[in-house]
Amino acid sequence: MAVATKIYPATVHQRFTRLLPLAILAMLPIPFLQKSLDPTVKQVQKGSENIGQVSGIGNEFLLLPLLGFREAAAGLLWVRCDEFFHSGDYDAILPLVRLITWLDPHADNVYITGAWHLAYNFTDSSERSDRRYIPPAQALLDEGIQNNFHIFDVKFEKGWQNYDKIKDYYAAAKAFRLALETKPIKGSDDYPYGAPLRVHHILAHTYEKMGRLPDALYEWQKALERSEQMMMSKLTEEQRKQVEAAKADMKPGQLWSERAEALLQKFNKDFTTRQLREAEKHNYVTAYQRWRDRYTTEGHSKNNPTRYPAVLMPPPVSKDQTPRPWDVAFQPRIEVVRPKVFKISGFGNFGDGARVEVRIMDWDYKEREIDPKENTFQVDDTQTILQDSISVRKSKFEREMDMSKDTKMYNFSKPYYKIVLSYNPRSTSPHLQDRFGWSGEGLTDSNRSHVYIDRRPELLGTKFIEGQGGEGPVWDGKTIPWDRYGQPVRMIRVTYKIDMEQVMGQKPITEKDIVPNE
Amino acid sequence: MAAAISIRGLTKKYVDVWQKQEVIAVNNLSLEVEEGEIFGFLGRNGAGKTTTIKMLLGLIFPTAGDATILGKPMGDNQVKQEIAYLPEETYFYDSMTGWDLLDFYARLFRIPEPERSRRVRMALEKVRLQPEAWKRSIRGYSKGMRQRIGIAQALINDPKLLFLDEPTSGLDPIAHAELRDIVASLKYEGKTVFLSSHQLADVEMICSRVAIIHKGKLLRTGTIKELISGERTEITVQGKELQNGMLAKLQAIVPEVHMDGEDTLRLTSDDSERVAAVIDLVRGAQGKIISIVPHKRTLEEVFVETVRKEDNTI
Amino acid sequence: MIALAIAQQTIKEAFRRRVMWIFLIIGVFLISLGPVFGFLTPRDSQTVLRSLGLAAILLAGLFVTIVTCIYLIPAEIERRTIYTVLSKPVQRYEFVLGKFLGGFATVFINIAAMGVVFLAMIYFQERRIPAEMFKGVMLTFFQMMLLAALTIFFSTFTTPVVNFFLSFGIFMIGNLTTVTESLTTKSNPLVRGVGTLVHYLLPNFGNFNIQNSIIRPQIEIANEQVFLRNNILYAIIYSSVLLVLAILIFDRREV
Repeated sequence: MAVATKIYPATVHQRFTRLLPLAILAMLPIPFLQKSLDPTVKQVQKGSENIGQVSGIGNEFLLLPLLGFREAAAGLLWVRCDEFFHSGDYDAILPLVRLITWLDPHADNVYITGAWHLAYNFTDSSERSDRRYIPPAQALLDEGIQNNFHIFDVKFEKGWQNYDKIKDYYAAAKAFRLALETKPIKGSDDYPYGAPLRVHHILAHTYEKMGRLPDALYEWQKALERSEQMMMSKLTEEQRKQVEAAKADMKPGQLWSERAEALLQKFNKDFTTRQLREAEKHNYVTAYQRWRDRYTTEGHSKNNPTRYPAVLMPPPVSKDQTPRPWDVAFQPRIEVVRPKVFKISGFGNFGDGARVEVRIMDWDYKEREIDPKENTFQVDDTQTILQDSISVRKSKFEREMDMSKDTKMYNFSKPYYKIVLSYNPRSTSPHLQDRFGWSGEGLTDSNRSHVYIDRRPELLGTKFIEGQGGEGPVWDGKTIPWDRYGQPVRMIRVTYKIDMEQVMGQKPITEKDIVPNE
Repeated sequence: MAAAISIRGLTKKYVDVWQKQEVIAVNNLSLEVEEGEIFGFLGRNGAGKTTTIKMLLGLIFPTAGDATILGKPMGDNQVKQEIAYLPEETYFYDSMTGWDLLDFYARLFRIPEPERSRRVRMALEKVRLQPEAWKRSIRGYSKGMRQRIGIAQALINDPKLLFLDEPTSGLDPIAHAELRDIVASLKYEGKTVFLSSHQLADVEMICSRVAIIHKGKLLRTGTIKELISGERTEITVQGKELQNGMLAKLQAIVPEVHMDGEDTLRLTSDDSERVAAVIDLVRGAQGKIISIVPHKRTLEEVFVETVRKEDNTI
Repeated sequence: MIALAIAQQTIKEAFRRRVMWIFLIIGVFLISLGPVFGFLTPRDSQTVLRSLGLAAILLAGLFVTIVTCIYLIPAEIERRTIYTVLSKPVQRYEFVLGKFLGGFATVFINIAAMGVVFLAMIYFQERRIPAEMFKGVMLTFFQMMLLAALTIFFSTFTTPVVNFFLSFGIFMIGNLTTVTESLTTKSNPLVRGVGTLVHYLLPNFGNFNIQNSIIRPQIEIANEQVFLRNNILYAIIYSSVLLVLAILIFDRREV
């Protein structure tokens, strides 16, 4: 049957022939616009390609994120995560953290909290954290830094984790410095500042831990400069003039004027800011004092003609003998009281408050390398590692390390194990550093094999600074190249190699098991 | 007089794609409507009245044929300045007040203020909508008030030609009469009205010419007078002789004979000579003529007759 | 002028519809719920407030846009008001243009209303209104404007029910920007062909989803100017094309 054709008014045909080419023409730029938008859209929606990778997530859930509600979904999941934190359901948190950071790769706090969770919250029955989670935690932070490079927060967290948990001060300093390089974002109401003052503080402390006093002092100076700027910016024009006037009589090289400081303290209402300023000054002075005492010839003790004048060395036995470093006479003892329970005890003349670091791990233990794209927070269940420390009182230390209860964490599936006992002056408390020096200059052991010198360039501390009575360049207040003016760290370290029989207590662990330090 | 509407062979076929069936809504319709007349367009529901009007207004498109309205091709935008349309059962924008609705329609004619307000007031007054309802929303209007607003919107541009589709259907008798009078009064303002309706009494009363459309086909057109011409006379006869061959004799003169009981007959014819012959015959046979009633034909009768005849021939 | 009168009329009619108000109220309710969720997670209340608020605007805006624009033209036909309008000296293209403008304006008013509530919540929480949030609301509007154009375009030749699924479906496909983009580089020619067609020719709603980066305003978008400008251009050009096509189709539509 023939289809009845409708008769349209002439204008309809006219409009059709006129407008259709116009519509087609207008459509032409669309693919090009799309092409130009693609890279930006990719950048804006970073992480979407990963969404599908999480197993066990239903399509109906994926729909929301794909519709552009990714961060809303992430936000709501994060609420759920919070509940898990409160209820202590730690295992449930990990996949959520993974999912949220894929959904919303700019969720800096999720990276931070997730990495903290990984590094601190998986513990054995004696609250020792599972070191196997350190590599995925660090990888997560690296991923967070990459996805949030324009802010300091994740970089700061990486520094803090290395400082506080891993005690890798080199890595910590590197991360803190990266955080400090974060520039304020121009034109953003939300983020007009770069890294805050506290990054300078913690970096300075990191340098102190590394024995890099000039760098620490430099960082304190930076902090002082910035805190002064911040305090000044809050003042009225009149108040500012008064402070400037008070600063007029400052000598070159003087960092602050007491009169100006008194005015700043008076004019600023915020208690925290004022306290922080005082703390910075105190920390600067302390660090300066230590540096001056330990690494310059100023205030040189007549009793100590060595290159390390401020290190408290034991008095010489006879008149013509030069002072010698302290002999800590380290004598460890390891006993297996029950299978997989190690009683570690011994003698060490470290002084009260020192801690002997203990590591019990696979002989061939190696940190897993994590492919950032595949970081699913899985740990290698066949690996065994324990890390702890024992405090020294009256030169004695003793503690039981029970590795028998947590088989998931310590499964002892390898044939050989390594027990490392060590004492590192760098991470010890200041009053002990006064005795041994930052880098163990005043430390030795009558058993030479116990002395271990870490020469890694990144761990070189401050060398004795000449010029102010000594040899070497005068420190000009700028950071000095790390690899050139440092000195290696001397520490005490003993390494045992034991086998499975010894782990099970069928064979004693003796001095014969001690192997050269690596 | 010039033709206000001139339709030539207008056809609308619908094709049901699924059932491969062709429906002819309007079939080769040709019609002329003179200026100044009220033209009645009669047909049953679904006869093709609304389809025809919608084609004339360019709302739908014919499959064949052609028409001019006020000398312009149908659907022409210019000509719409001069015409008006009241569709059947329109709901309008019932959240608006009567006044605002008319104001909106007036804006579509690009009528500027203050002329627009004047026009709105005039139209509302003309359809005799109570002023207290002007600023009330249409949702609260009765059916009659809605039809008044409908006619008012058709009058807003002071059109030369109005298409009114069933303007009086479903109204109470008073409103019905009032609206019919309003439509009738348009004629005295020189407007042409194309009135589609099956309210035959109204059409007979106010239209000068009508067309009857059935199943898309135009059956008859003409003035009311032409259509209902010819009186019809009904004779009632009584007589004992009726059985004795009289019936056959009467039937020879008038074919329509009805028996009313044993001795009464009713006969109808529209021919006066035949009526006289019947009277003569009855008198000659000693019969009794009870009544001779002349009947005027109504449009309704003509319509029913026409449509039935068409249906029977098919 | 006539298109404007029709647009104005369209807005009035749209705001009469109860279903639109329901979605608008749900949207406002969800936005004002933001601080409650923020209270649950003290760690990052700002992010929750922002993301939930923007998501609520998008979700409510999506439904408001679809349920409103689906009926703009069919309702006129169903209630026969279109006869009274088109029998006046109103060109069909003026009618369609008026419907588009009215639809856009309705969507704008809705998004703006929710946006004002949202920005007020932000101000209440943060004591300032970051420019990023404004950009987010603005891009949502342009996304919804494109959706409105698409829905009205479909309404010129489909029934509201078909239109609902069609518009919603294309909106979802259009949101898979990153997926369709990756399809354009696949080796299978069929997959690549379909991917390319969908990615470059179907309206790409995913382009406008900027939430992820603006909720963390610390993140700088490289070429943000280009991103905003091209997106707005995209929405306007694509909507215009849909308008022209709608006019051409509606010219032949029997009402």
